[in-house]
Amino acid sequence: MTATATATAVAPPSAKLLDRVDELLGRRVSMRALALLRVMAGPIALVHLWPFVSDALGGRIYRDAFYEPYAAWYPELPRSLYIGLLGLGVVAAVAMSLGLWTRVATAATFGVVTYNLFLSTTNLHANRAYLVIVLAALAIVPCGRELSLDAWLRDRRGLPALDLRSPAWPLWLLRFEASVVYGASGLSKLVDGDWFGGTVTWHRMVQVRDQLEASPLPSWAVSLLVDRSFHTYAAKVIVLTELFIALGLWWRATRYAAVWVAVVFHVAIQLSASVQVFSYLAIAALVIWAVPSTRDRVLRYDPAAPRHRRLAEAVEALDWLARFRLEEGGRGSPLTLTDRDGRESSGRAAAVRVLSRLPLTAWFTLPLLLVPAPRPVPPRAG
Amino acid sequence: MVLVVLAQLALVGRGYRSAHKEFAFQMFPESSTWSADVVRVTAGGERVPVSEPWSGYRWDELVTGRGLADPSVRHHADAGLDNQVAFLAAALDYVAAHTPRDHETRYLEARVTTWHNADGPEVTVLRSHERSAPAEGGPA
Repeated sequence: MTATATATAVAPPSAKLLDRVDELLGRRVSMRALALLRVMAGPIALVHLWPFVSDALGGRIYRDAFYEPYAAWYPELPRSLYIGLLGLGVVAAVAMSLGLWTRVATAATFGVVTYNLFLSTTNLHANRAYLVIVLAALAIVPCGRELSLDAWLRDRRGLPALDLRSPAWPLWLLRFEASVVYGASGLSKLVDGDWFGGTVTWHRMVQVRDQLEASPLPSWAVSLLVDRSFHTYAAKVIVLTELFIALGLWWRATRYAAVWVAVVFHVAIQLSASVQVFSYLAIAALVIWAVPSTRDRVLRYDPAAPRHRRLAEAVEALDWLARFRLEEGGRGSPLTLTDRDGRESSGRAAAVRVLSRLPLTAWFTLPLLLVPAPRPVPPRAG
Repeated sequence: MVLVVLAQLALVGRGYRSAHKEFAFQMFPESSTWSADVVRVTAGGERVPVSEPWSGYRWDELVTGRGLADPSVRHHADAGLDNQVAFLAAALDYVAAHTPRDHETRYLEARVTTWHNADGPEVTVLRSHERSAPAEGGPA
């Protein structure tokens, strides 16, 4: 009898896990990161659309030269309508970025970019597929309720602000997709003997040796880049870097390191290869890994102290993820940061920690967190 | 959400055997290179390089993207050889179907030389579909 009662009262572990996943996906969280990504995705969509628009302005569209439809049934528009659609995509991307009629503008940007890509197999590249995924995620969440003209206009009309939170599942889905971009790329190289062994990168460098020698690179760097044995190690570093980014973004302990490495990785790719909008998009999308809660860190500063004031002004201007709440402390009080877990840091440590959490300064200041500093004071009991 | 996750994983898996690897995110997969001698084979059996304009058409105006405008030059297959060869095969069919003023070409043929990464060359021959009658539409 007792055993039966226990069995009915305690859910099996699998049910518990499902409940936890369900709660995690359905929990209402801040959409701030996606609002910021939306602002950045507009210009990226414009850069993506520009070659198609430029060709159209020059009188050429995709079907004036070789193209290969994915399916015979895929609808193709008359020329003037197609050009009009590209124009609509441009307008929608601008409106999406500004946050004007955000829901409609984002859906329209997604629609135009996606329709255009699937017109021909020749249109699709990995970076464009990623753009479609990001735009799809932005189109299904209410990411226009902040950092938008819509929110500003609503405020001007005296209407109450809308709930800035929304169920978390689209954010988790986008995180999964972002992780897949790195993971799939790294995995494909890991299982390819030529890649992991260094043949692919070495051979490519040998092919472009003339360009390397004509570049500002010093001769020793060129010699290193075309050295076969260097690539035996370099290829493994590249593959493991991609896999580290894919996995490291998921855990708090490794997330900042993964973000830092990802920025270096994309800057290196941007400088060494033609990857269309990939670098911009991938770096912009890193904001989705911020914890989706806002104003949960308190920065207390002395408004009379010029250094404190400058930091407070920087936070006001650059805290695009809305992570900090600024509070004025008393005259002569130290700069103090209370983190979301209640830990406190002060002085230089607080300043570095603040700057390491602002999107624009994070990359430069994150390594400073490795410099030994007084340990944060744990929260006081009671 | 589960469906999207499963679909994405399926696309990643599909990338290992599909030419175009849509949504498989296999970036910079190879250092492979390729070049091709593309000719028109006429009803009389002549083999005319497409580098020579014909019937008012030019290959580099008909085929502009994906590194195909000048196939005789050795190019990097930036999305892999399978991808590149699939595009070239499709381009041959496209040109065969979109050159209605050409009344002499039976089919187009490409003798493709590929170098998989640092391996030696391999030669493949691709053919467009047979042009029984001039196709309609396409660039004037």
